[in-house]
Amino acid sequence: MCAFKYNPAASREVYNLESGKYAQQCMQCGLCAVTCPARHLMDYTPRQLFKMLFAGEVDKVLKANTPWLCTSCCLCTVRCPRGIPIIDVMHSLKHYHFEKGTKAPVATLSKVFFDSMMKRGRVFELGMTNAYYMKSGFGAIKDAMKMQDVGMAMMKAKRLPLAPPKKVKGLGDVKKIYDKAVALAKEGH
Amino acid sequence: MAKKIGVYVCTGCGIGDALDIDKVTKVAEKEYKCPVVRTHAHLCGKEGVELIKKDLEGEEGVNAVIVAGCSGRVNTDVFNFGPSVMVERVNLREHVVWCHPANDEDTDMIAEDNMRMGIVKVQKSELPEPYIEEGIVKTILVVGGGLVGLTAALEAAAAGYKVVLIEKEASLGGWVAKQYKQVALRPPYDELRENDIQDIIKQVEDNPNITVYTSAKSEGISGGPGIFEVTINQNGNTVKEKVGAIVLATGAKPYDATKLAHLGFGRFQDVVTKDQFEEMASSGKITRPSDGKEVQSVTFIQCAGSRDPEHLPYCSAECCVGSLRQALYVKEQNPDATAVIIYKDLRAAGQYEFLYKKAQSEGVVFIKGEVVGVNEAGGQVSVEAEDVVRGETVQVDSDLVVLATGMVPTTAFGEEELTVEVKEGEEAEAAAAAADTIIRSDILNLQYRQGPELPSLKYGFPDSHFICFPYESRRTGIYPAGTVRAPMDVRAAIDDAAGAALKAIQCVELTAKGAAVHPRALDFSFPEFNLSRCTQCKRCTEECPFGAINEDEKTYPLPHPTRCRRCGTCMGACPERIISFKNYSVGMIGSMLKNIEVPEEFEEKPRILVFACENDAIPALDIAGINRLEYNPWIRIIPVRCLGSLNLIWIADAMSNGFDGVMLLGCKHGDDYQCHFVKGSELAEIRLSKISETLDRLRLESERVQMRQVSIMDYDQIPKILDEFAEKLEELGPNPMKDF
Amino acid sequence: MANKSILVVGGGMSGLTAAVEAAETGYEVYLVEKKPYLGGRVAQLHKYFPKLCPPNCGLEINFRRIKTNPNIRIFTSAEVEAVSGQKGDYDVTVKLHPRFVTEDCTACGKCVEACPAERPNDFNFGLDKTKAIYLPHEFAFPMKYVIDPEACSGSSCGKCLEACEYKAIDLNAQAKSMNLKVDSIVWATGWEPYDASKISYYNFEANENVITNVMMERLAAKNGPTQGKIVRPSDGKPVTNVAFVQCAGSRDENHQPYCSQVCCLATLKQATYIREQYPDAKITIFYIDIRAMGKYEDFYTKVQEDENVVFIKGKVGEITENPDTKNLVLEVEDQIKGEVLHHEADLVVLATGMVPSTLANPIPVDGTTDDDGFVIAEPKETGICGAGCARKPMDVAASVRDATAAALKAIQGSVRGGNGNG
Repeated sequence: MCAFKYNPAASREVYNLESGKYAQQCMQCGLCAVTCPARHLMDYTPRQLFKMLFAGEVDKVLKANTPWLCTSCCLCTVRCPRGIPIIDVMHSLKHYHFEKGTKAPVATLSKVFFDSMMKRGRVFELGMTNAYYMKSGFGAIKDAMKMQDVGMAMMKAKRLPLAPPKKVKGLGDVKKIYDKAVALAKEGH
Repeated sequence: MAKKIGVYVCTGCGIGDALDIDKVTKVAEKEYKCPVVRTHAHLCGKEGVELIKKDLEGEEGVNAVIVAGCSGRVNTDVFNFGPSVMVERVNLREHVVWCHPANDEDTDMIAEDNMRMGIVKVQKSELPEPYIEEGIVKTILVVGGGLVGLTAALEAAAAGYKVVLIEKEASLGGWVAKQYKQVALRPPYDELRENDIQDIIKQVEDNPNITVYTSAKSEGISGGPGIFEVTINQNGNTVKEKVGAIVLATGAKPYDATKLAHLGFGRFQDVVTKDQFEEMASSGKITRPSDGKEVQSVTFIQCAGSRDPEHLPYCSAECCVGSLRQALYVKEQNPDATAVIIYKDLRAAGQYEFLYKKAQSEGVVFIKGEVVGVNEAGGQVSVEAEDVVRGETVQVDSDLVVLATGMVPTTAFGEEELTVEVKEGEEAEAAAAAADTIIRSDILNLQYRQGPELPSLKYGFPDSHFICFPYESRRTGIYPAGTVRAPMDVRAAIDDAAGAALKAIQCVELTAKGAAVHPRALDFSFPEFNLSRCTQCKRCTEECPFGAINEDEKTYPLPHPTRCRRCGTCMGACPERIISFKNYSVGMIGSMLKNIEVPEEFEEKPRILVFACENDAIPALDIAGINRLEYNPWIRIIPVRCLGSLNLIWIADAMSNGFDGVMLLGCKHGDDYQCHFVKGSELAEIRLSKISETLDRLRLESERVQMRQVSIMDYDQIPKILDEFAEKLEELGPNPMKDF
Repeated sequence: MANKSILVVGGGMSGLTAAVEAAETGYEVYLVEKKPYLGGRVAQLHKYFPKLCPPNCGLEINFRRIKTNPNIRIFTSAEVEAVSGQKGDYDVTVKLHPRFVTEDCTACGKCVEACPAERPNDFNFGLDKTKAIYLPHEFAFPMKYVIDPEACSGSSCGKCLEACEYKAIDLNAQAKSMNLKVDSIVWATGWEPYDASKISYYNFEANENVITNVMMERLAAKNGPTQGKIVRPSDGKPVTNVAFVQCAGSRDENHQPYCSQVCCLATLKQATYIREQYPDAKITIFYIDIRAMGKYEDFYTKVQEDENVVFIKGKVGEITENPDTKNLVLEVEDQIKGEVLHHEADLVVLATGMVPSTLANPIPVDGTTDDDGFVIAEPKETGICGAGCARKPMDVAASVRDATAAALKAIQGSVRGGNGNG
């Protein structure tokens, strides 16, 4: 028999994530798909993602770009008839990637964006872009070359400054808040 | 007491303006010599009512009142002068001035004829005297000692009634007694509760008003409401109990899983039914039958036998919730165990939605799909299903598979037979149509002419198919409750038990007063049989929709008035016209129609007689009037209790009295019948098919007599139906018997 | 009458049933109804599922049972204001709103011809108008006219006073209060359709051709605003392509967390209304689960046999109107196909669920309802019993059964020392 085999137990580790358990409440109505402004870019709608979790397709779920394209606009979460905090579930899934150290391109992008933000309180686009391509391995450098023209055009239009922006005021405080949050998360709050 | 009729004609609501009232009062005064005839412009007002009361109380000594004005549907309480005063309402408003042109000779003639009919009806009626059986008992018999039976017994006892409960098993509790946990009856609905059936059993056993017979069944039930005699066989000993009404609560059986080999039952040890699973859970540990190991994964297959044309086409209503409950048992035993439910639609209706969400939150996995195969794979049971959301065939392997088997009512088991013998020949069709299916389920064993059990509707449920009156079974005083009546969940069944208990109590109370039960509740009339003229044709015993008439040892009809619903079907069936009510008889209607003035042929005023069901067609005609819908003025309307009471002699009388045509307006029959007496309109139609041959023989076109099925909402159609009929009759020309 | 009496609050199918069943068993019953007529929601229904029979048929029988039973006293345009006491000894204050039309009304209808003022017809969900003096509907019981004080300009007009030959109009009528002593109370105030405008993404108020299932009942009803013709509200044109949106509010924690039980069957039934009038119309039903319980499955099977009725599993997420055609586009994720559809329809019916009326008009006794407003009072302890949709979502037949059961509980609350066998 070559039918797809359900393995619900495999998804347990996802359900054990901070907001992972809520995924279990999905009754497969699909309202999230309709409300999501980014659904046309997603590999799977949140509903489909949850259905895959039920079947135990954790790998597929983790490879999906869905959580990374979530803009946290909150519309699905507000409307979900089962009260599932979908953006929180997406957040948990993203976290899971970092914990596992997966190298999905969107995960890398997310990471360099975050690092750039934490350095100055603002994004340094050129630095972030370079970091992204560097971290994405050899193939990505080829991709970067392809983007050269776009980069140049942006520079001419002064949309891609060569120098990093100034740090924002109070960056130290933001870091403190972040560190505290990380510490709290480690304690299991 | 001699009848002294007072006739009161109301001239309000435009009646006085539209009619020549003198003509109407003259009918009462001159033609029928009524001693008191008065008119008033607002009869339903205080002054008008006082006018009547004065004549009732004063020297006029009026004791029968005819109110000619609005419909009897309105001001019913206003014109009620107590049980000793006969009141007849002659409709001059909705049926005359509101649907026919004002100041028109033909409209006046309708009013005059309605007046004639009203007066004759009163002349031919007597005040009914209640039929009160001797030795009425109010004890309620409950058949079946499961949750529904126990609940019905407790609820009836709590209202102060004695109860006899019989249960065929040695112990009480039935299906529910085997359950591990129960769904919540009150919030929070997402939590299961401990099964409290043992407390309920104890309450029943400790209740001094409840007599329990276990290991017992009914061997025979004779009599009728108020006077049932039940022969109870308990372990071979026979006991007799007198009871007043019966609640049938024998429940349902699980669908036979041996028919579900395609779902693995019987093929694999680790495929069990939901009832076997429940027993495992109750015993403390859910294990695999094959090796006794604690289960790590369980798959539930919904609609095992239900929603399946090969098995049970209906939904069993309880199984989705049952599987939610059972999946939670799995999670309770081991939160890491897997529970998968494969379903077509997850029918956790109403507040069971909370339980559905609870099961999801506990990690139960739901797959919408159809099972296509069950096999064994690597020591597990492998279920293959079309997962409709994934759009592919999927495989679910688990330690144990539970089949959510559906329910079959206990009344569905046994030989089928018809309530009447179907003979060869002309009568066969009529007999077959009048017959009901009885399944010899050996539960009640009624000693009734029409068979030993309740007539069964679709799928063996003895339901009534009435939406508004769901407890009305086809045997008076016997009320099915719980899963024997329809598939239902535990919460619904508990409510159902109390409802049926109330109907049983109500039945004994009404019977004790000598009154009818639904739908003619509080009617004190009942059919009387003049047996000296009976030819033993058996029509009354066969056609009674409620099985009220037995046969005595000489095969004469043996009426059981407490079983009677007063529809008059027997009266309509009787070719010898020996059955009549004090206030409703073949002779009374016959006189009414004979008193309608039929103009001679040269006057070119045809006459059409309409027999209309008073439950639906008459109110519809009222609404036609309220909407000022006009129809043919040759129509004369006689209300009947039910078209089932239509006696063919009326049609013969009508034709020989020169009516040009007869129209019957009755309720819809067939599977979705709307007839309040179930069979009445259907029987009328069958009788009609017989008269058409007679009419042909008399060289009268059979189209002159027609029947239409109408509902109360056909008020706009009825005028059209009547007009078209009048046109048809005009084509046919006058009744050639008119001038004889 | 002071002893062994029962108060039934609500004169819809459940209240009527509880009242007549208790009265026919021999008990005194007071029936209090807020509206000026009895029959409640079912009076507004075109047909019942699964028999497709008219609700007025059963109502007519029940009204006859009331008319001929001296044990029942009815109060319309009346509301329970306060309840004090306990099981077996309740003191209830009932507010009687003025009808402005007295018992002398003969329902001749002359006043309507004279009345110059109009009001939106609440019986038809505002789809048409009546005069300020009106008969609630033609089957109404009691068959008496009533004046809407919101619409009537009062004695400054007085045209109806002149028209009424029976002096049955009292424009100065005032609300009154009345006290009742009862042993037990049946609370059967039924349900309100969920307010569809609260589901913002369906744009119910702006989209003319989006109606609710209760409105559909009136559109299909012969005595409704269109004389039974199902047409688009925007232009009165016939419909060719109708979409039903299931669980509009139900099974939704932002609206009603419970399932309303009846909407699936109601939609299947309404699909037959459309089919009866439009043999070729396309009908699409968007659902999560079709909950056709028990023998109702047969009805579901029957509707499924109609090739032009299509069932799509998916909850509709957005409804937008095409301003030119007034057609509607429904966005929904078709689960089976796994894609988001843009489905066009010329009429959309929202299968809105039921909200217990007790949520907006609470029972004036503490602890009698749950969070959703459903009655949970324990009759054996409190002498108060919920019946019908005030207790849980249910269909008509279930309401009748439940109300019959409630009649028994009420009677138990009225039994003083061994009745019955005496």
